[in-house]
Amino acid sequence: MSQLDLQAIAERALELMLAQGFEHAQSSARLTQLTELNIELNRPSLLRSTETHRLGLLGLVGGRKAATELSDLSEHALREAVAALHADAAGAPADEANAVSAGQRADIVQGPQHPDVDLLASQVQALLEFRACETPKMMLSEGCASHTLTQTCTLTSGGSVLASRIGALSLMASGSARDGKRASSFNDAGGQTHDLAAQPAQAHFGIEAMMRESERQVDPSALKAHFTGDVVLTPYAVVDLLDWFQSQISDDRLIAGTSLYARRVGQAIASPLLHLHSRFDAPGVAAISADAFATPALAVLDSGMLRSLTPSLYGSRKTGLPHVPVASGGWSIAAGSTPLADLLRGVTRGVLVGRFSMGMPSPGGDFSGVVKNSFLIEDGQVGTALSGVMAAGNMARMLEAVSAVSAERIDTGAWHLPWLRIGGLHFS
Amino acid sequence: MTASTATAVPVAGYTETRHHELRKTRILMIDGSLSSNARTCEAGVSARVHDRGYWGFAAVPGAADSQIVLDRARANAQAMSRFGARSSAPLPQGSYRGEHVFQGRAPISPKENLERLSALNAYCRQRYSGLRSVRLMLLEEHHTKQLATSTGTRALSSIQRAVCYVVFAAEDEQGAPIDLAEPLSVKGSFADLDLSTDTLAAQLDRLHEHLQAKRHAVPARGGLHTVVMAPRLAGMLAHEAMGHPCEADIVLGGAVTADLVDQRVASDLVTMVDFASHCAGAEVMIPVYVDDEGTPSRDAVLIERGILRGFMNSRETAAAMGTEATGSARAFGPTDEPLVRMRNTAILPGSSRLTEMIEGVDEGYLLMATSNGQADTTTEFMFGINLAYEIRGGRLGRAVRDTTLSGSAIEVLKTVDAVSDDMVWGASGYCGKKQPMVVSMGGPAVRARAHLGGE
Repeated sequence: MSQLDLQAIAERALELMLAQGFEHAQSSARLTQLTELNIELNRPSLLRSTETHRLGLLGLVGGRKAATELSDLSEHALREAVAALHADAAGAPADEANAVSAGQRADIVQGPQHPDVDLLASQVQALLEFRACETPKMMLSEGCASHTLTQTCTLTSGGSVLASRIGALSLMASGSARDGKRASSFNDAGGQTHDLAAQPAQAHFGIEAMMRESERQVDPSALKAHFTGDVVLTPYAVVDLLDWFQSQISDDRLIAGTSLYARRVGQAIASPLLHLHSRFDAPGVAAISADAFATPALAVLDSGMLRSLTPSLYGSRKTGLPHVPVASGGWSIAAGSTPLADLLRGVTRGVLVGRFSMGMPSPGGDFSGVVKNSFLIEDGQVGTALSGVMAAGNMARMLEAVSAVSAERIDTGAWHLPWLRIGGLHFS
Repeated sequence: MTASTATAVPVAGYTETRHHELRKTRILMIDGSLSSNARTCEAGVSARVHDRGYWGFAAVPGAADSQIVLDRARANAQAMSRFGARSSAPLPQGSYRGEHVFQGRAPISPKENLERLSALNAYCRQRYSGLRSVRLMLLEEHHTKQLATSTGTRALSSIQRAVCYVVFAAEDEQGAPIDLAEPLSVKGSFADLDLSTDTLAAQLDRLHEHLQAKRHAVPARGGLHTVVMAPRLAGMLAHEAMGHPCEADIVLGGAVTADLVDQRVASDLVTMVDFASHCAGAEVMIPVYVDDEGTPSRDAVLIERGILRGFMNSRETAAAMGTEATGSARAFGPTDEPLVRMRNTAILPGSSRLTEMIEGVDEGYLLMATSNGQADTTTEFMFGINLAYEIRGGRLGRAVRDTTLSGSAIEVLKTVDAVSDDMVWGASGYCGKKQPMVVSMGGPAVRARAHLGGE
């Protein structure tokens, strides 16, 4: 494994950028080492060991900005890249909103720092044995157990120094169940943790439920008639709702003026049952933003009240909204007080949705999509698996219409989410 | 170029090494402000070894000694023996020697490129003053791969594409934000992308007209409808609906297509091919002459006049199925191993005219633009529709709000009753399957019955 001095590389890059004439600069050196054991078609198939290093450079001159990233860290390549970056910036329009961070400090070490191939192999073996014994109709077309170590060092001309050394273990399984000529829809589950050995392989990230439910989905039915009713979103389906909401409170929508929430901080925009908070110390996550800020804990929704938007430094200076740095992942919706079984029992007629397969929701939140890995719920009972069923609704209204939050959650590292019951979706 | 016959190589003998450079540039301008102006260059050496039924893979950055990387990959393959002996069919042989590098226009400077974008933004803001925002995104991607395999392949391949997305945003009648995108894609670099307003004026006017129509759009009626899919959608239909279920690794993973070879899966108006390097005598947008396993690429005929004929194969899936590799194994980045991927997937043109296809619909929809799509092992597919119009009595009616098209590919393709005589190709998006991948899609307009999402 390589032993790179990331700080020395970042310092040299910053020095060359300032010498080139940049007034403000940011350099970020990154080394990622991956050890991964792959499953293919229910069998161990491949062992990989890969290494990547990158140097990201961002320079400002006269309010003009350009960025580049290179994998060749030689002095010659670095000098060439800095010169090209200066030419790129010189051609860019000046923008007073461009800036780099100043005075930030972070030094984060978390997670397992070394790969253990024996552990990865034992997890793969255990998962395959579980499949063979408990869910033999399930075809794991792909899966993997892996260890990733990501080391970073980011410096800015404003004196920011942010370092991280994040180790994480992951497990992932995907595929579909097959019974004769009938097949379920494709499904997957996976995530990152600091301790794969803490529980049986299939117990991580909802993998066991995914495999068992896939077997129940090989003989699905279509809906007999259109109806409007409740939807119960599994945590994997909640991610779609969360992704849409987070895009609404981030740079692109805020800058373009197409966010529904730009002027609604301090107002109730969601069900009082919803609390969305950061967990930037989650497995695989470094509490550092892409624009070189340490990311303190953040509450976005408290009892449905919008507490904060998340513009970057550039987005903030462009829109006049307060700057709120966020990490690349790590979000949590607080567990509710309703056991999942009770949450389902409260549905007269509705659908338990494993995931949506859909086009991108409109900026206003309207969406329609096929419900995948899903079951009909009637009189509180989860019944037949569904196929060819479409749901239509509006993401913003769904946030408002959450009527129950489960006490149980799934933790995949990047997110920690419960099941949500929401009223008023159209099924056809 | 030389291509060997399809004999078998010893299982333990297969190795490949790849020097791979991936250069990308991404520029995002929102209302004249440069939100992103970034380029990346990722380069490295990878090696893959097949040993006693298991694979080992290794990759390191830069211009490393390929023998060291190969030794690491071999050690990884050998470490897999902990799982016990594994039998596997001999991998098909096949080798290729040649170089394929696209020669487009001379590159333009970053300054000139940004000036073009600024001019395009100024034109849009001035001509379409009621817009809430104009977003312009430029993407350029250049893959260069040097491949050597134990079967004798020595190849240099280069794939290059450039894309510009023009996104207009406005407000609908209720004041809610709406937007509409026009993707423009070419083979080559930014220099090959014509962004002059003289060239784009008519396209931009149409985009603006459609957005104005969307301001008054009505919801689609959910359910089964007759739909005319414009050529851009037919390409997506080819890719998502039957393309993915015809990738041999998906077939081996349990896709329902496994049992349907030589059976009817579409109307006899439908012929679908995954082209390797040429279509109708012209080089395609993503030409693959040799894949990343060193197999000479050939067209994969998936559906011929409605009958399922075959699949896209790598060496390993071909061995498992007892068939020939089609040269469809492709790796996206320097640290990725080759997987079975589509290249240039298309439904072939028919003999109808689009106008006649619309006139023949009493009640239905014209679907004109798509945002994204997904496939399934069951052949159930969906794609997002962000521009559509009602058809009433053979005439176009009101615009329709964003919706989703879905159905079982086989059921939908069996209902195809008209295919237009034109053909449109595009290479603006990525296909996602463990790794991203640049692909192109093509097709004529297609009329069929399928489900639309809605109330």
